[in-house]
Order: sequence, then structure tokens, then C-alpha cells
Amino acid sequence: MDFFVQLFTNPVGFYNQHELLIAQIGINSILAIAIFVTFYSGQLTLANAGFMAIGAYTTVIMTLYLPTPLPVNMLAGAVLAGLVSVVVGLPVLRLRGVFLAIATIGFVEALRLGVILNVPITGEGQGLKNPTADPLGGIVPILISLPILAYLVWRLTRSRLGQAWSAIREDELAASSNGINVPLYKMIAFIISAVLAGYAGALETHINFFVDPTEYGITRTIQILTFAVVGGTTNVFGPIVGAVFLTALPEIVRQFMAYRDVVNGIILILVIIFRPQGIVGRGGLAIIRPRWWTRWRARERTAAAH
Amino acid sequence: MSALLQLTDVRRHFGGVHAVDGVSLEIEEGTIFGLIGPNGAGKTTLVNVVTGYMRSQTGSIRLTSPGGTAELARRPPHAIAGLGIARTFQTLRLYRNLTAIENVLIGMHTRRRDDTLQQLLPLRPLMRLDDRRLEEARKLLQTVGLDPDQHGDRRASTLSYGDQRRLEVARALALKPKLLILDEPAAGMNPAEKDRVRELIQQLNADGLTVLLIDHDMRLVMGVCQRIVVLNFGRKIADGPPATVSNDPAVVTAYLGSHAPESASHVPGSEEMDIAATAKPAASAEPASPLLEVRDLEVAYGAIKAVRGVSFGVGKGEIVALIGANGAGKSTILNTLSGVLRPHAGIARFGDLDLTTAAPDKIVRAGLAQIPEGREILARLTVRENMELGAWARRDRGAAHREIDELMKQFPILGQRQNLPAGQLSGGEQQILAIARGLLAHPSLLLLDEPSLGLAPQMVDTVFEVIQRIHTEGVTILLVEQNALRALEIADRAYVVETGRILLSGTGTALRRNPEVQKAYLGG
Repeated sequence: MDFFVQLFTNPVGFYNQHELLIAQIGINSILAIAIFVTFYSGQLTLANAGFMAIGAYTTVIMTLYLPTPLPVNMLAGAVLAGLVSVVVGLPVLRLRGVFLAIATIGFVEALRLGVILNVPITGEGQGLKNPTADPLGGIVPILISLPILAYLVWRLTRSRLGQAWSAIREDELAASSNGINVPLYKMIAFIISAVLAGYAGALETHINFFVDPTEYGITRTIQILTFAVVGGTTNVFGPIVGAVFLTALPEIVRQFMAYRDVVNGIILILVIIFRPQGIVGRGGLAIIRPRWWTRWRARERTAAAH
Repeated sequence: MSALLQLTDVRRHFGGVHAVDGVSLEIEEGTIFGLIGPNGAGKTTLVNVVTGYMRSQTGSIRLTSPGGTAELARRPPHAIAGLGIARTFQTLRLYRNLTAIENVLIGMHTRRRDDTLQQLLPLRPLMRLDDRRLEEARKLLQTVGLDPDQHGDRRASTLSYGDQRRLEVARALALKPKLLILDEPAAGMNPAEKDRVRELIQQLNADGLTVLLIDHDMRLVMGVCQRIVVLNFGRKIADGPPATVSNDPAVVTAYLGSHAPESASHVPGSEEMDIAATAKPAASAEPASPLLEVRDLEVAYGAIKAVRGVSFGVGKGEIVALIGANGAGKSTILNTLSGVLRPHAGIARFGDLDLTTAAPDKIVRAGLAQIPEGREILARLTVRENMELGAWARRDRGAAHREIDELMKQFPILGQRQNLPAGQLSGGEQQILAIARGLLAHPSLLLLDEPSLGLAPQMVDTVFEVIQRIHTEGVTILLVEQNALRALEIADRAYVVETGRILLSGTGTALRRNPEVQKAYLGG
């Protein structure tokens, strides 16, 4: 309860006390946007933790060995994630549904176990120290990036590209009969998603002093997936709401901190049972709209029609 | 006028199945071109080859337009759509969760300039373009007979079946196609809806659109098309104006089926057939105490009424046939009797058992077994394993095995191949396997769904001999067939089913002579 009391009575104090939490919410929201893009084009890809790792390691390694400024290092991390996604996407995007999910998880594990744990420059599983990290300054690019990215992706979904994604999600065969180049548009979604995840990884290294290879495994992948499932994927704001909610939750109910994964699991099951389209469904935040409101609106509408 | 689309020696084989086998045809610009043929003739495969969903193994497909000639073979579907060929699908393929307007807007994809970057900064001119597109989409909905105010913002899946079919046409028109391919646009529609489809096609054609129409409804195809090509077993068997095609003996045979070998050369309705017919004693009209009794049966799939009040009976020891064109509702009736589907209204009794509520396994135990259309053979298991699975639910394993041995002897075709994978059998052999497997359930009434589907003529003879033999052993048979003349030859009585209703009934011999039967198939 204290959490909310402070949020409303003393926002400045709240911000100062919860800066790391807010930064983490921002990063998770960007990851949520990343998985939304692939979901919106009908692809269940779980490669985002891998692209995050590429963004994170690239940024830190460049900071350690090259004289380039930090923003350049971060963008390089995002771009490299995008390039790798092309190579991964070419064979993998021929798969659909659960097979695509398994193949992308395979990529995440291969990257972590095969590359990160074996290449000396990555610290070989010991992780990498990032002495230049700046937890307080690092929050600024996160808070600036999030609204811009959310806006851009929201506009994208209304463009020709976004409509092609909707069509592919609904029915690939019909989409190609409408002249939509299905493999191309799937690839574009996969690349955009990878760049966003890589960027989120790069941002995250800047608030932590340490890059930990165990952060980029299955657990992270599933966490990102739950943002989308809990929030809903009809529009870009769904996964963001899911990310904010699930990231803040352990702070809100501190007494359950130890059972964090259990609570997450229960929430996931409840959402799937009672609101399979996610918290943010078609027509906005349905959960905060009481029943009488919908009924009243329906009556208004029929009255207007007559 | 010139040829808009030209197919030369197009071929598509799947293993040993010659789905499309060297077809050549020309579609003139500005015409309505019909493509017809019995079930499994290769019509949809041909459309899939033209639209790039399947590759042609030989030959060429040329699209000639003012911009020049393009070879379509080996191009992907989206590229072919980009060249101006739009299609609808036999099974509806709308974007079900998007609104009607959104469906049409996506149809404009190839004509819409890529505005992805501009959309990121929505400025005035862009809004105007958006508005113009929306206005065009609303007009397209009106063209096909949908009200944009009433239907435009509804999700496609909430529209009625007929409206969904219309929406799919609107989405295809959004491409501004040079050629519109309609794959069974009137499937599952009632006569009034079919008339509206006919008017729409004629109106689109009057506006200059070239249409390739594939449909089973002969009345529709014969009514609107200027030229028709008939396919059978993947080959073109007739090509010409409707009047010529409908009187072509090859077409009549393809649709009504072949006769028994000795009368194969005769056209239906000719005098000689009566001689063969008199050999069979005339059966009485309706059985007094039927083994199977069906009254006012109605079955619907969502909004589509497939069976609209059907009544008939099957007496003990009879062979009764349900015949009629594809989509008439015959298989639906059988699936309802075997408990796979549930009727919306009506009575269906098998002895004392109420088939409208009994569980499928209970129905089988009571002695009513169905051999489904398409046989449902497990291709990787051996013939014997398939048989053993048929006896799986039985407690008396020893007796079941003895019976399987007995059946293997009875059907030497199976006995000789009992250790081969069932997938290697020919279609007819698989059908016999399916029937033999059904016999393990000791049925007193056997429901056979299209046993001759896709079989070569000699194999059809073998399968029908098997059916007659089972019948002489005391099994009552209810047979659904597209091969009407063939079914009528062995049937005591038959019912002609059309659009979910019984059009005619009578003894097999009487119906064979009835010109109405021919009309029901070829649309007179």
C-alpha cells in the first residue's frame, strides 16, 4: 500500500527511491514492444533474449576496448542484433507456430552456451564488468526512448506494412493472394524486433555494472512472453501495460517477493482463463471498465441508430 | 478479342495421382469462363497452379496484358497477384478477426504506395489518401451488395455466411484485377443467394472484368459462362460454349458416372438400359417397418443449412442410395446418422436407438457402421495392422483375429498384400480395406460414403461387386454416391438429394430412366 501512497503523495521521493525499478520497467517495456512486433505479424518467436545479449555484450565490449562514445556503442549493439537476426531469420522463419518458438529458443541457448560461454572476450561465463555504468544517468535514455519507440511502432501498425502484418497473422495464404510478400514482411518484423531487443539489452548494461550471461536464457525469454500474453497483443500498448504491471508487481506486494515466479505463474493462468485476449483487448482497457458502462454504451448506440 | 490467359500443357502430378494432366486452355479477355468437372477432377489444383500456390511441372502459363506478356509458372503467389490475378478460395479465407473494411483495405496492398515512413509522421496529405482509400473500400462493399454502414465495421467472422462470401469477392476486387478467379463462390448457398451471385458476376463482367468461374452448380455455370472447359481425372474432356458442352456424351458420362461394363457405350436414357433393369425385381416404395427411419432431419453448420428437412427409410436387407451433386448434403446426412454430427431438428431412429442423441461408439455397437468418405486408412501401418485397429475395441481378441483371417481370404486383394503399408495400395484397394475393416464391427446396417470417389473405372466395378457381395450376406446398405447411374444399378431404392432436400425418390430402375435425374446433375 505504501507503494501507491508514496506514488501519489510524494512522486519525487518515489522516483528517487525507485529509480532502478523505473529503469527496469522502461527496459522491459521496450522488450515488450519487441515481442509485440513479431506477435503482430503472427510469429511466435522467442529469440529476444538472445538479441538482448548481443546488444548488451557488443555495447560493453566496445566501451571496454574502443574509444567510441556510448550512444554509438549502444546503437552498434542494436544494429549487430539486427544483422544477426537476418542470418537467423532466413532458415528459421520458414517454420510456424510452436516449431518456430522451439527453433528460436534453440538460437538463444546456442548463443549463450556456444558463443558467450566460450569466447574469451565475453568473459566466458564469468560475465563482464562494466566500470562505466551509470545507474542514475542511464535512466534518461530509457525514459526518452520508450515513448518514441511506442509511438513509432503504433504508427507502423497503421501503415501499409502494419496492415500486411495483420493480414499475415490472420491468414498467410489469403495474404499472398492479396499480393503480400509473406516471407519478406515476416523478415522485416523479425529484424525490427531484434533491433529493439538489442537496443533494450544495450540500455540495460548501462544501469548495471555487470553483464551476467545467465540473464539471457530461457527465464528471460519466458518473462518477455508473459508481458505480451498478460497485456494482450491487439495493439502496442498491451504488452507495455503487461511489462509495467509484471515488473512493478513484486515491489507492490513485497511480502510475496520470495514467491515472485509463483505469483507470476498464477497471474498468467488467471489471465489466460478469464481474459485470453490480454488486459488490453480490442477497444482499450476493458478490465477497468465496469459492466454497467458497456451495457450503457450499447444502449446509447442502439438509440443513436434509430 | 485476345487471350488474356493462356495455359499450355500444364501438368501437376502428386506421386502417382495425376491431379492436372496436360491441360491447355485460353481465356479470352472480357469473358466469363467456366471450369467444371466432377469432384476430384483437378479444378482447384489447376487454380492453385495458375495462382502460384503449386508449381506446374511442365508447360507454360501466360498472362497477356497491354503492358506485355508475362510467364506465370515459377512465380510466387504474391507476384502473380501483383500482375493482376485475384482469387477467392473454395473454403472461405477471410481475415476473420479484422473488420470488413480492413479486409478490403488489405486487398488494395499491391496498389497502395508504400507509406510506412510517412505514416510515422501523419501529415495532412496522408490523411487525405487514407480517406480516399476508405471511401473506395466502402464503394467496393456496395458493389458486392454489402452495406458499408451496417457491415463495414463488423468483424468478418460475425458476418453471415453469404455476406462472408461476398466480402471475399470485394477483397479480391480491391486488387483491381485483370482476371478474377472465383472458386465455388456459390457453395453452400440457397437458390436465392445463388441468383444474387449470378447477378454479381454478370454485373462485374459488364464492367469489363474477365472472370474464371469454378462451380459445381451447373445451372449457375451454364447460365453465365460464354465458354466452358470440363475436366475429368485431370484432363480436359470438353471445351466450348455451354450448349455444346452440356450435350457432350463424355461430359454426361463424367457427371452421371459410367454404367456396368456391358452397357458402358450407351448414353443414359437410351432404350437398352431397360433390359438390364428388368433383371432386378422391382422393390416396394417405402418399407413398412424400416430398420432406419429418418423424419424431417435438419442439420446446419453455423449459418449454413446443409440438410433442410429430409425424410426417408431403409428396410432390412435393402440397398438404398442417396445420390446428388457435390454439396447437396449427402455426407452430412450420413455423418448425422453415425453420431458425428448432431441435427438441429428431426428424428433419426435405428431400431430402438435414437441416433440424434446416442454417442457414436454406442451407435457402432448397435450395428450401424460408417465407411467415411476418403477411407481414413492409416497409410504407414500395414494392411493387417489397419484391420487389427478396426477390432481394437473388441474384447474377444481371439475371435477377432480369426475373423480378420477369414476376411483376408474373402478379399484376396487384401490377403495378398496384408504385410504391405496400406499407403501403397491403390485407391480402390484402400476402399476395400476400409469396407473390410468396417465389417469387423458386425454391422447390420453399413453406411458407405462415396466408395467410388477418385477410382479408375475397373476399380469401381470391383468395389461395387464387393458391396453387392456383402449385401447378399445379409448386411443392409445405405450408399451415398456421386456416380449416380452406377449406384442406381445396384440400389433397390434411391433418393435424389439437392441443396439439402429430397428432390425425387423411387426404385433404382425408375430413377435411372427419369430425365429429372440427369437434370439434377447437369442443370438441364
